[in-house]
Amino acid sequence: MRTLTRVALAGLVLTATGCQFFASKDRDVVQKGYRGTAMEVNYVARNQEQAMAELAKKMPAILPPAGESPPGPLPWQNVQVLNDIPVAEFNRTMVAMATWVAGGAGNCGYCHNLAAFASDTYPDGKAIYTKAVARRMIQMTRNINSEWTEHVGNTGVTCYTCHMGKPLPNGLWFYTNENQLLRHYLDGGGARVVSHTVAPSPENRSSVKQTEWTYALMITQSQALGVNCTFCHNSRQFASWEQAPPQRVTAYAGIQMLRDVNTNYLAPLAGTYHPSRLGPMGDAPKAQCVTCHNGVYKPLYGFQMAKHYPAVWGTHTDWTTPLPPPFTTPPAPPVIDTTIVADSLAAATAPAVAPVVPPTGR
Amino acid sequence: MAMLSFEKKYRVRGGTLLGGDLFDFWFGPFYVGFFGVTTIFFTALGTLLIIYGAAIGPTWNLWQINIAPPDLKYGLGLAPLADGGLWQMITFCAVGAFLSWAMRQAEISRKLGMGMHIPWAYGMAVFAYVTLVVIRPVLLGAWGHGFPYGIFSHLDWVSNVGYQYLHFHYNPAHMIAITFFFTTTLALAMHGSLILSVTNPKKGEPVKTSEHENVFFRDFLGYSIGAIGIHRLGLFLALNAGLWSAICIVISGPFWTKGWPEWWGWWLNLPIWR
Repeated sequence: MRTLTRVALAGLVLTATGCQFFASKDRDVVQKGYRGTAMEVNYVARNQEQAMAELAKKMPAILPPAGESPPGPLPWQNVQVLNDIPVAEFNRTMVAMATWVAGGAGNCGYCHNLAAFASDTYPDGKAIYTKAVARRMIQMTRNINSEWTEHVGNTGVTCYTCHMGKPLPNGLWFYTNENQLLRHYLDGGGARVVSHTVAPSPENRSSVKQTEWTYALMITQSQALGVNCTFCHNSRQFASWEQAPPQRVTAYAGIQMLRDVNTNYLAPLAGTYHPSRLGPMGDAPKAQCVTCHNGVYKPLYGFQMAKHYPAVWGTHTDWTTPLPPPFTTPPAPPVIDTTIVADSLAAATAPAVAPVVPPTGR
Repeated sequence: MAMLSFEKKYRVRGGTLLGGDLFDFWFGPFYVGFFGVTTIFFTALGTLLIIYGAAIGPTWNLWQINIAPPDLKYGLGLAPLADGGLWQMITFCAVGAFLSWAMRQAEISRKLGMGMHIPWAYGMAVFAYVTLVVIRPVLLGAWGHGFPYGIFSHLDWVSNVGYQYLHFHYNPAHMIAITFFFTTTLALAMHGSLILSVTNPKKGEPVKTSEHENVFFRDFLGYSIGAIGIHRLGLFLALNAGLWSAICIVISGPFWTKGWPEWWGWWLNLPIWR
């Protein structure tokens, strides 16, 4: 009887581990560094292929190229952005945007007064805030594609990259105590906690809490991209750029890009949105890594959607649309930690070799 | 050569597992045996290969000498000598030497007519090593998942493998292993200090007995596990430290690919409070 129990137990263990063993062909580990350094990224390939198939199923098809535009003077009426592309391409872009953002090609009414498409107000005279926001988002998209190639490469972004067919992209955040760490993507100080002395002192006020914030911030990036720490860091010296994989430079440019996007495009729209879209402290929704990445290290698994849409490219930004008031630092949030390193100290510990990123463009 | 009092009992014929009488002799104070020969063979060959690896490597700095496993692309196949093949041969030699040593311990235990506690205990450490460089790489499908042989380089490997799973301290088996390691050192410290105290009495006083030992711990902790008990406890703690170390690394990758903090989602999702 005892032998039987032992055999049964051994069989159970073997079955459990054996199944896992045979499932291991669905796992993919990608070597990112010299052999034996364990600079590796783990993917669960089965899930990834399944996710890619699901995305391919729901991703809207690329619209057929626009035909010839009618000759003669341009028929623009109150077109404040995108007036540098042919009319036919403009109309194609509008249809695409309805699919990308408003959930369907026929849903023009999400941003337009269907009785008067050129109007900025509904028939009852109320402002169409979605239209105003969309104009600014188009400017933002062009800014990303022209000024932030260090992050988006030549793949670029479209509205769909973030919106994925929904009016509200994933991962929008507002000011709260829990989101305090995300202020790094707007106006917060550096995420660096590099202690150069053993013990805390008036000169070294780095705190455990700061470290936890940086860790939490890094985990939001890790989860946003579906990668582990060794995707961007050699953990033998997290701070060192020389030892880090090149992805870290891309990620750093991404942080700078987010700060540009949040500071110059998203946060200033607080006065434009309908109040129901604002956060508990009256601030506009803001982006973070997951907003575009949606759990994938390359958004849409690197699918180059933007190259099919000339409207999202170009540096033409002297459009006549009025700019929203610039973003100003909101009222100070509740003080959570009194041991924050002063900005000057943080600056003093900044790495001298931080990669150069392009200047903020508007 | 003078013999220790127990060596008469030890130096008896027989008890060999392999080789019969062929290697059943002593070299000075050292028992040879078939597994002594294989131990020497694997140890010498492996060490020479390490020296060769250092010679074709970039440095003789002891801290930085590094014999790295192959690239992942070689999978479970053989790699060129300078691209991880050396690591494969050295690993083979190391496993051969460690297992030979365990077998030699078993033969000596048989000669002494005692149980197999020592080979099994040593075998647990060997098992942890084999888990790192054989079992886990095989489960993951590439020898490149083994750790490199080098003082600094293996530390880098440990660090990066930990961060592949975002925060290794959340690995439950790692928690248990660490607890056993620390408890082992605590138990050894308490036991060692006790023995040093009773065997080094004040001048003029006799060496104390186990009655004193028991009384001290009954006063100190309310309980004394006893002279045999502490050694059983020590064995239990030390073996579990090794066992759970092996478990904590073999589940990382083959059985869990996400971050370890995420594993604790089951706790947050308990129906009591979710």
